[in-house]
Amino acid sequence: MTRTIFDWDYSQYPGAKKYPHVFSPIQIGDLIVPNRIKYAATEDNLNSHDGYVTDEDVAYIRARAKGVAGGICTMQGVYMDERRYGQGYVGQAAAWDDKFVPGLKRLADAIHEERAVANYQLMHCGRVGGVETPFCEGPSAMPQRLRLFKPVYEMSTEEVEISIQQHIDAARRGIEAGFDMMEISGIVGYLISNFLSAYTNRRTDRFGGDVYGRCTFMTDIIKGVRKEIGPDIPLIIRICAWEQLDDVGGNTQEESMIVYQEAEKAGVDSISVTVGWQESIVPVISRDIDFGSWLYQAERAKQHINIPVSMAYRLFHADMADKAIADGKIDYWENCRPQIADPLMPLKYLEGREEDIRWCVACNVCLARLFRDAPMTCYINPLCAHEHDPDYYPQAAKTKKTVWVVGGGPAGLECASIASERGHEVHVFEKRDKLGGTIIDAGLAPYNDDELYRFIEFNKAQCDKHGVEFHLGEEVTAEMIEDELPDTVVLATGSTVRKPTFFGGDRDNVITLSDALYETKPVGDNVVIWGNKKPAIGTALALAKRGKKVTLVGTERTVGKDINPSFRWRYNIFLRQNGVVSYNDCDVEQVMDGQAILVTYDGHRVPVKCDTVVLGERDPNPALEQAVQDNSIELYQIGDAVVPRGLSGATHDGYKTGLRI
Amino acid sequence: MAEVQATPQGVKQPKPFDAEQEIAKLWAKCQGAQDEIRRAFYSSRAAAIAAAGDDADANAIALNAWQFRGHDIAKSYFPRINLTKGSLAEQVGQLLVGSWRSQGAVVKLVKSENPDEVFVEWTRCPWPTAAKNYGAPMAEDVAGCDLMLQTAVADVALFIGRKINIETTKAIPRGEGKCVRRIWLEK
Repeated sequence: MTRTIFDWDYSQYPGAKKYPHVFSPIQIGDLIVPNRIKYAATEDNLNSHDGYVTDEDVAYIRARAKGVAGGICTMQGVYMDERRYGQGYVGQAAAWDDKFVPGLKRLADAIHEERAVANYQLMHCGRVGGVETPFCEGPSAMPQRLRLFKPVYEMSTEEVEISIQQHIDAARRGIEAGFDMMEISGIVGYLISNFLSAYTNRRTDRFGGDVYGRCTFMTDIIKGVRKEIGPDIPLIIRICAWEQLDDVGGNTQEESMIVYQEAEKAGVDSISVTVGWQESIVPVISRDIDFGSWLYQAERAKQHINIPVSMAYRLFHADMADKAIADGKIDYWENCRPQIADPLMPLKYLEGREEDIRWCVACNVCLARLFRDAPMTCYINPLCAHEHDPDYYPQAAKTKKTVWVVGGGPAGLECASIASERGHEVHVFEKRDKLGGTIIDAGLAPYNDDELYRFIEFNKAQCDKHGVEFHLGEEVTAEMIEDELPDTVVLATGSTVRKPTFFGGDRDNVITLSDALYETKPVGDNVVIWGNKKPAIGTALALAKRGKKVTLVGTERTVGKDINPSFRWRYNIFLRQNGVVSYNDCDVEQVMDGQAILVTYDGHRVPVKCDTVVLGERDPNPALEQAVQDNSIELYQIGDAVVPRGLSGATHDGYKTGLRI
Repeated sequence: MAEVQATPQGVKQPKPFDAEQEIAKLWAKCQGAQDEIRRAFYSSRAAAIAAAGDDADANAIALNAWQFRGHDIAKSYFPRINLTKGSLAEQVGQLLVGSWRSQGAVVKLVKSENPDEVFVEWTRCPWPTAAKNYGAPMAEDVAGCDLMLQTAVADVALFIGRKINIETTKAIPRGEGKCVRRIWLEK
């Protein structure tokens, strides 16, 4: 007997015609879900440190629930042990006692108020847990590969059995709280995955041994939870189709499919297909991984099991998901980071408002924050994790002003978009004939950095919608400001090239990043780039791909200090793979014929072959500041014009300034 | 774009580059850093023994310190082990060689016919000299070094789920001219 939670009629929506597979119903267990969209769980670190659900988390989830347009919205996974070994994030919700049920109910209610299907998740974090305890627990006391994580304590057989019961009890609390679906997380290094993997499970009791023995913990939980929640509640599990741990003796891909079959036999109604662990040395979800790269794993899963499968990884766009469903590779579409970047992304697809989607740039700053005990944030969505705060939403301006935004880069466009939405008359002046600022140049770097430009397209569309007037190819002068006297000037003028402080900085072979990227000046075979932050790195990779021998020289102690740690490791690998040598804690002392002399922080000198020096250090551009102040005009400076940073700093500056004018 | 500035004013023109001098200075600094590793270890050891009081077993405290080092060395090896890339014994041996070279030892890997067995041979090691300089008994140096290596290798073995052994066949502090450790995998 099938049932539905809420009825949705998509027939009048343009998105339903364009993506007929995504916006068609699916049966999971006995439940009919109106569309094939699921917001996959992610931690947000927004709850109290003792596991109680907060207003911030409810608002965060409500926004995502609205976005799935009748689909499935998953809350962040709960830990279920009072000892808190299962807690992997400081703001993770708890469910180890009935006292947590009222808070969990607030989440279920919020999802229901948006007429979406409320999915509850159990998540004991295993060897990546114990965030507030001296150690974490797992099937075997396997040393940690990453120093970030706590030493692992080996659970006794009795403790394993207690943990199974804790999962069951926590499941009951989820149903009592009003959730419609139940999900068990066994991915990326969490406890269930620890039991499943040959890498981390060396037990000799009934929970260890061959792959079937290692499945026992998972299947006992599935059976116990199923019995507790009854046959009517759909039960999903998230497990790896490939752990990406071949280098340390993890499960083979064939073993992973046995795990899938055992999960199905034990009683799950659907499997969410994932790839990789936090300890994997292979990247899975960063921007350099092409869209749809992992679909073959979902397709493989479907060949081994007979229940619906879903997948999230690098499947950001509805057309990809629609095709994957049509081709029988997945049954429904999960997304996580795209809805962190834009909670309403699926709804906008449904309503035919694709130009309004704020695209995730797969930078992983969200993950980097969580691993460092910080609340969730998003690189390009300043509202993320502030959904509860009315001050973060654009409100109609009390006084309509004429606003000049000088600079059509990401900061300027974000500011213009928000200010115009609030009712101001906004003019954007860009001296180039194209919008985008440094993002245009950044997009020339390899490894899918061209995806960054979608952010500019998004903001351009928002500006157009709100009547922003663009003045392309027009450079604002002090005289123009004095003549026109706008009410407000926002200087989003970006950065300037830092003037060289080394000898030989005036030579013809000392050129700018832009000269090098566009080859407007000759670039020799041996290139030294002065700077070791992101713009220098992107240029180094672009030049290396053109066959140049590149050396990075920067005064930061590590290369890419301005890149978040969850992505920086990728750049380190790219640099190595492309033969780029990096001298950190170093500066250029002198440029001569065919070579440059570098100097370390403590005065040692190193000669390197060098035909061309590229200036990759930046300073804020102070242009027009004086002119605006001289005319007593309301002045804001944002983005790189304040401190040269990345797209995130620009976006957040622009958004907040747009709110303030 | 801003124009490129001319040569900075008021800054002294650098001296001509002298490669030999630069390398000599760097080398001296590298050796200084190597000495600093041992100075830090032995001063921490002395502090721990002093803090433990006169009745404490100084040898046990020192061995404990060596064991801690073993665990930590192993941690630095975990990201470098790769079961899909060649002989595991050779990887472990090479990691030890790398660690000790950076500490100032003259050490090399000696392969055997069996891919699951290698030898690491130290013809010079600065640690026994340091033990002497800092007043630690030579017996402690031998036992400490063995314990550290056994701990590191045991952790690596645990990490990758293979039985790896290490034994000392010769030791400089025992007057045998060189240290030789045999590393082998059990079938």
